[in-house]
Amino acid sequence: MNKIKSFFLNIPTKCKAGLNKTGSFFVRIGKEIAGVGKDFVSGDIFVKASLFVMGIGFFRRKQFVKGFLFLLLQFGFIYFILKVGAPNLAKLGTLGTVEYQQIWSDELRMNITNDYDHSLKILLFSLISIVIILAYAFVHFRNIKVQRQLQQDEKDGKTIPSFITEVKIFFDSKFHVTLLSLPVLGIIILTVIPLIFMILVAFTNFDQYHYPPLKLFTWVGLNNFKLLFQTGSSSVTYAYAFRRVVSWTLIWAFFATFLTYIGGILLALLINSKYTRWKKMWRTLFVITIAVPQFVSLLLVRNFFATQGIVNTLLANWGVTDWLIQNGFVSSSLSYIPFLTDEVWSKVMLILINCWIGFPYVMLITTGVLMNIPKDLYDSARIDGANKFQVFRKITMPYMLFVTAPYLITSFIGNMNNFNVIYLLTSNRITSDQLLANANASDTDLLITWLFKLTQDYYNYKMASVIGIVIFVISAIFTLLAFNYTIKSDKESRFQL
Amino acid sequence: MSVTNIKTYRRNVKMKTTLKVIAQQVILAILALFWLIPIIWLIANSFSTQTGINIRQFFPEQWTLDNYYNLFFNTDTVANFPKWFENTLIVAIFSAIVSTMFVLMVSYAMSRMRFKMRKPLMNFGIILGLFPGVLSMIAVYFILKFMGLTDHLAALVIIYSGSSGLGYLVAKGFFDTVPKALDEAAKIDGASEFMIFLKIIMPISKPIIVYTVLVSFLAPWVDFVFARIILTSNDTNGFTVAIGMYNMLDRNLINTYFALFCTAGVVVSIPISLLFVLMQSYYVEGVTGGSTKG
Amino acid sequence: MKKLLLLLVALAFGIGLIGCTETTTVPTTEGTTTLEEVSLVVWASELDQTLMQSMIDSFEEEYADEAIFDITLGAVSEANAKDEVLTDIEAAADVFVFADDQLNELYTASALQEVVVDTADIIAANGGENAGSVQAASRDGKLYAYPMTADNGYFLFYDSSVYSETDVLTLDGILAAAAADGSQFTMQINNGWYLYSFFQGAGLSLTYDGSVNTCNWDDATTSVTGAQVTNAIIEMANNSAYVNLTDAEFVTGVNDGSISAGVNGTWNASVAEAAWGDNYAATKLPTFDIDGTAYQMSSFAGYKLVGVNATSEYSYWAMKLAEWFTNEDNQILRFESRGLGPSNVNAAASESVMSNPAIAALAQQSAYATVQNVGGNYWSPTETFGNLIVNGGLSSSSTAAEIQAALDTMVAGIEASSVE
Repeated sequence: MNKIKSFFLNIPTKCKAGLNKTGSFFVRIGKEIAGVGKDFVSGDIFVKASLFVMGIGFFRRKQFVKGFLFLLLQFGFIYFILKVGAPNLAKLGTLGTVEYQQIWSDELRMNITNDYDHSLKILLFSLISIVIILAYAFVHFRNIKVQRQLQQDEKDGKTIPSFITEVKIFFDSKFHVTLLSLPVLGIIILTVIPLIFMILVAFTNFDQYHYPPLKLFTWVGLNNFKLLFQTGSSSVTYAYAFRRVVSWTLIWAFFATFLTYIGGILLALLINSKYTRWKKMWRTLFVITIAVPQFVSLLLVRNFFATQGIVNTLLANWGVTDWLIQNGFVSSSLSYIPFLTDEVWSKVMLILINCWIGFPYVMLITTGVLMNIPKDLYDSARIDGANKFQVFRKITMPYMLFVTAPYLITSFIGNMNNFNVIYLLTSNRITSDQLLANANASDTDLLITWLFKLTQDYYNYKMASVIGIVIFVISAIFTLLAFNYTIKSDKESRFQL
Repeated sequence: MSVTNIKTYRRNVKMKTTLKVIAQQVILAILALFWLIPIIWLIANSFSTQTGINIRQFFPEQWTLDNYYNLFFNTDTVANFPKWFENTLIVAIFSAIVSTMFVLMVSYAMSRMRFKMRKPLMNFGIILGLFPGVLSMIAVYFILKFMGLTDHLAALVIIYSGSSGLGYLVAKGFFDTVPKALDEAAKIDGASEFMIFLKIIMPISKPIIVYTVLVSFLAPWVDFVFARIILTSNDTNGFTVAIGMYNMLDRNLINTYFALFCTAGVVVSIPISLLFVLMQSYYVEGVTGGSTKG
Repeated sequence: MKKLLLLLVALAFGIGLIGCTETTTVPTTEGTTTLEEVSLVVWASELDQTLMQSMIDSFEEEYADEAIFDITLGAVSEANAKDEVLTDIEAAADVFVFADDQLNELYTASALQEVVVDTADIIAANGGENAGSVQAASRDGKLYAYPMTADNGYFLFYDSSVYSETDVLTLDGILAAAAADGSQFTMQINNGWYLYSFFQGAGLSLTYDGSVNTCNWDDATTSVTGAQVTNAIIEMANNSAYVNLTDAEFVTGVNDGSISAGVNGTWNASVAEAAWGDNYAATKLPTFDIDGTAYQMSSFAGYKLVGVNATSEYSYWAMKLAEWFTNEDNQILRFESRGLGPSNVNAAASESVMSNPAIAALAQQSAYATVQNVGGNYWSPTETFGNLIVNGGLSSSSTAAEIQAALDTMVAGIEASSVE
């Protein structure tokens, strides 16, 4: 607990350190630019010319291939800016003004469409252009420095490396560049740019009523954030649904994480107990449950527990349903058990079904740790006369918690975003909470499934993006806590001395 | 609270052990049954003559192998399992190749090389991991669309493997445990970093390569969200196994295709379960990022 | 130094983007002199694939001398067409089949091509401008889709060995007969589509002006109030002979014998026919009782429509194809092979169509049915309202104020312009 407390106490100092870091980052950039300026002033004509024609200095130093490549890069860049960058960036402020229009032409037997603006394309291409411009600017200015260095080397009579030699460097001392280029490029295109794009969408009115190409959308500032947090008197509001969904998300993540954690450890203890025979067989039987793909097992379970499902039939035949109705666990207006339709029942069922998946899973990953608990800890406890429960509480759990704390935190965040379980089991569920329904949410929705529903069923990208940012903030808080609370096992230093 | 006397304990140990062994097996058997009921239901339904859901009784009234035959040889416009299987297999193979390369490249660089941007890049990776992937789905879709890549299996390969570099942590954990002395010895012999990577480290990294291949090979078989969005023409012949099967439980189709869904479920689950059971130990290492290794 | 990396980034983007901006510009504007190459994507229900493929084949044959076709058929159920189309209109099918309740959202998003080829003929074939099918496919006096079937509404299925012809006239009669038999009657009330029957039947109103719904279901001053209607629904829900089931569960229940009557549509006719055999019967919806007065349940008249994508590159041929799918011959073919009721007047008048019990029941119900013209915000609040009754959140023990509050919240949701 103290650590958590000190984490919060440390926030101000950390922020300060962070600010200093960003500050020094800008100082560094400043220095870098100053350096380039100095190189530019002190350089010869070719260095100066390379401000305009990037690779020119290379030709002077007889590095023709390199020079040619840089020339190509520069032309490519200019072409890109003229063709894509400039037209889109010019419209970034408004995200387009010309609405889509079409007129049917009997003569041509087709629609004549005007030269309309596509807000989504404008936003996306502007973003990509900015990324490319920044990257290009970096290369271009670095290039001046390189040219100056070349001039110096030439003057000093050093041999200018051939193209082949330079390429070789990328397989030796700069091998990491070669290794990282493609994967990082993939991450930039498929993760970074989409993320920035969606963050930007949170500040626009991109929804069903402003859906490109036929409609335009535009910037609306912080309006969407206000919508999410502001409670009005109206019964049609996001704020209520947001509070409900966040609290259920956290409750769900808590139970889903800790119940499966404790249950899984108990299961692992049971299987690995010295009294258990055929350990491997038992383990495999349980593991099969999680090895079946979730979309198969969960969709199956959904039908298993349906209103007109096999479980309901069997329980009704055995009289369980009647007993539950008589004792008030099921509303008397029903003739079945509302496993996945009633609010309370479905929440409990979700947690139980998650245990069904989670126990074997945790069992699997904690077995190794359990085996590693030092025997003498147990022996001394037994000599002290502790019973089984005490041993579990005083020795097993603390040890496990100590070792698996990072896993617990990541699994908490994982459960917060446990799309599969919630979506596959309750995506068709109808809520009984009218205020939730008015905001397109349902009682069992997590932030992530609400977000998904908003995009897939209601094309409400603006709100979905705001919710996405909220998910990020919550996840970030828990991750920071985790990193501060636990000692990161750093195998790097242990093995690579 | 009564404390068992050690002497009594020893005297009764044999009988007690037998009792305990039996008790444990019974408890485990009951638990296992409980855990396996849905799986048994899946298998039972796959042999049912009734095409819809049987809600009268747990086991089918009549058993048949027709569903298995139909699944493979009697395809229709809704269910074309062999084609789905082929599509998914193609996607899985290619994305396994690309993902494995990317993961190995990133993890190797992050683990065994030292450069200025290393720490910042790793931190940046952690931050990226905190954004929900579902959120960026639509933007990814449009990026691929403007590149003219949607509605194509290649787009799925890109989706599954393009940013796989982010999942480098497990493999990095593995490379971290390889002694640095190996590289140094090779360096003295004049090997370049590339040669060390290719000739020294890769040969001893078989376990982690196998793990990475399997993990990325499995992803396309279980994804029903991204594939649905990418395959825009909705041609059933172009589906992957997961979306095809997901589609079978559409409310218009469930009463005709439920048994077939179960059959497909069994057929898909067998290889996946086998792979999963075989790679259990790697998997454990994977989800915990090595942190649970005591 | 990450020069190589950055170079790659820039080049990849450059090539990628330049490449695609070029391909997405000018649409082709070829004349009609040479044989045009036309590629179209069609979306139709999974269940209709074989039928639609045969129609596509005959279409290609019919116009073989005018163009070369490359037509792809995809499987999207009519109920999901809107979702698939609106996700990315440009990537959606050129021609798609959808249920008429989606017309408003498709129209609002400008996703539908106005019918500009052979418009008058199509309207005439479906019974003129005032025909329900044409109204359902029109907005602001313009036709936006091609009526394909007129069978997408709902009516009462029953097992005539359990119910007499007088039993099925009233809701109370049905429930009494079901109770006597030990089986159950179902009508899904946590679904705005069916819930409408009660409120509309009692004379309350729901209108849509193209952007917002207007609804007086919570008005306390109407001759029959929404609260009274709600009590009638609660009374039905409390009856042990009633059960609330979804469409799929209705089928399971019928197959299983636990359901002897239910409100559903033609798409499940074959199931009921197979389960009840000679006792299979269908008729209009029953009346229900409010304070001693009987009110006839209303319903949404449902149509399946064929839409043409407004952004289609080959609009003319897309329209021709949509017209082909919905012409008289193909509507008859559709009835014969799939049992779907035609919207085309001539096709509907044929003897075989008239003698189909489900379609006859729909025709009976059509006198009380209204064209479904509601905005997208109608569905979620109504299904939740119905669900409150199903789960006992609103019950016979609820106070008048509680019921009124629930009605108010529902109407606020229905009338919302968008969530603000």
